[in-house]
Amino acid sequence: MTTQEAPPIPRPAPHKLRLKVPGNRNFSKPARYVMLAALVLFSGFPLYWMLNTALSQDSELYGQAQGWWPHWERLADFGDLIGSVPIFKWLTNSVVIAGGTTLLSLVFAVLAGYALSRFKFHGKGAAGFLLFATQMLPEALLVVPIYALFASLGLLNGMGGLILANVAFTMPVSVWIIKGAIDAIPYEIEEAAAVDGCPRVTILSLVLTPLILPSIAAAAVINFFDGWNEFLLAKTFIAERDLWPASVGLASFIGQYLTSLNSVMAAALLFTLPALIFFLLVQRRIVSGLTAGSVKG
Amino acid sequence: MAKLSLRNISKRFGDTQVIHDFSAEVDHGEFLVLLGASGSGKSTLLRIIAGLTDPSAGDIIFDNLRVNRQSPRERDIAFVFQSYALYPHLTVRENIAFPLALDRFKGWHHIPGISAVARRVFGSSKEIAKQVASVSSMLGLDEYAHRKPGGLSGGQRQRVALARALIRDPSMFLLDEPLSNLDAKLRAELRGEIVRLHRLTGKTFVYVTHDQVEAMTMATQIVVLHNGVVQQHATPQEIYARPANTYVARFIGSPPMNLMTSAVDDGQPALGGLRLPAPAGIRLRTGTVTLGLRPEHLTVSADVGGPGLAGTVRRIEDLGADTLIGVQPDPASGLKMWELNQDDLLWIRQTGQTRLMAGDPCTVTPEARMASYFDGDTGLNLAPAETSAALLPG
Repeated sequence: MTTQEAPPIPRPAPHKLRLKVPGNRNFSKPARYVMLAALVLFSGFPLYWMLNTALSQDSELYGQAQGWWPHWERLADFGDLIGSVPIFKWLTNSVVIAGGTTLLSLVFAVLAGYALSRFKFHGKGAAGFLLFATQMLPEALLVVPIYALFASLGLLNGMGGLILANVAFTMPVSVWIIKGAIDAIPYEIEEAAAVDGCPRVTILSLVLTPLILPSIAAAAVINFFDGWNEFLLAKTFIAERDLWPASVGLASFIGQYLTSLNSVMAAALLFTLPALIFFLLVQRRIVSGLTAGSVKG
Repeated sequence: MAKLSLRNISKRFGDTQVIHDFSAEVDHGEFLVLLGASGSGKSTLLRIIAGLTDPSAGDIIFDNLRVNRQSPRERDIAFVFQSYALYPHLTVRENIAFPLALDRFKGWHHIPGISAVARRVFGSSKEIAKQVASVSSMLGLDEYAHRKPGGLSGGQRQRVALARALIRDPSMFLLDEPLSNLDAKLRAELRGEIVRLHRLTGKTFVYVTHDQVEAMTMATQIVVLHNGVVQQHATPQEIYARPANTYVARFIGSPPMNLMTSAVDDGQPALGGLRLPAPAGIRLRTGTVTLGLRPEHLTVSADVGGPGLAGTVRRIEDLGADTLIGVQPDPASGLKMWELNQDDLLWIRQTGQTRLMAGDPCTVTPEARMASYFDGDTGLNLAPAETSAALLPG
């Protein structure tokens, strides 16, 4: 009997399968581009119109029909339009307030979310519910009591007090987002870290935080925009013009008798830009968070 | 170097008692397997040894030192999880280096923000890098060092988990069903690997599994648990040869021991109509006992009418090297299978292939001296532990 070489094990041929995404087949590529272009136009047009208005003259805005193309030559006068107000000071204030709100809110939210997710304690259900309940009360209802409280604590007319008040309103949402993210992480990973010598705080900072980063980014966006857009509390608490955030400053353009629309739009454009940049910075993380959520230890 | 003593451990979760008064002594260097079906309390027991779960009562003693109040880290144990529990955001190299880097942490290194930097700096130090390299080459992980766990197969992930346990040089290794998530071939491969690590390190291993093959092949001692109660604590050989009770008899072996009800008359048990010689070393009282015979201690032949039990072949399972034959005893033979057998078949293991076909009449003959006898009421093995030792090879 002769020895025979074993035949190679047949392997299945690589499939030339296209990913079947529902809905994907229904449209041809050009059609998809057309629809995307429509979407971009739809969401981009207000930004464009803001720019166009900012570069128009009041006479055009109130008199004739506004032109479709911006008067780029007026860009040089941009400074004058908004030069009368400390817009950059206001923007800086807004960055400080929104950034401070985000930072403080996230620190609390990670700690609170961890506790709500992993610990058993008396009043846990109540704590979770109360956090939730804060979202049911409108800000306007609480402005007066908080004003009274801040007045006696000397927190009025300062960005610190405003940040505190903002955190109170934005943190609960972040806590729930982060609690949900921690819930999804297998408990064993924490136990492995404990066996490897991590105390609780290090488990949280070295192991859990990197794993829930996408959710933290999502919470950061919500917090930052809440802080950036917040108007009511800022308008009520801060009287000094130099301490105004941009949202309050922007509103001051609206005069009783005369509103210079192009100045408002120029300022609004400047107000939008930092927020846009912040979103572009974190959006990649958020998108990766949507797809990479299913990491199994 | 650790000798493990567990004294009167019990654990309750609410109203459910998961572990009842468990005591065991495990010498240094033993490979103890906690074997049981799911819900037997074996994993809870392991977590109690590790310090991940507190016992409701009882003492855990590592070498004369009571460690009940010590954290897992202070107990100096390594734990391997069924789900691997690797750090998904770290590379294989960083995963393995993690415990060593943490060992170098001083108090202030734990401050958030600083800890991430400290882990990186310590983890990439030359000394640690050398240790990581030697451990990962030992487990064949060299080429994956820079991958993240998400890019590894199950077997590779469990190797990383083993490497992470190994690198710390702990006093004791605790493994919680580490192979359950792997396919059969990988399981056999890693079984060999773990036994090799046990020999190499000479450390105490406590290994939880529901797989009797893992238990029989790896253990130096097996504890069989059922509903939180120890059924038997013995060597694998003794557990196979002299199961302490009917539960162990049915749990160990594939197919398990055939159990049947046997009438005893004048010290002689009966197998259906067949009278067996009185067993050596056991005095059977007149009445009924449960008689157990392993499939390999029965032979089957196609001769009808010969001495033995008449029956009909119902199932044939050809495993290649040997064949399992399921025989239904003739009602006329008077043989009564034990009420808790899953099927009413008498399973016989035969080397090689058989000519018998399902439906054929046949005769089964027992190797009577290999039979086990259990109390009809309590299910306890009637043979004292010593006599069965004589049956062991060597």
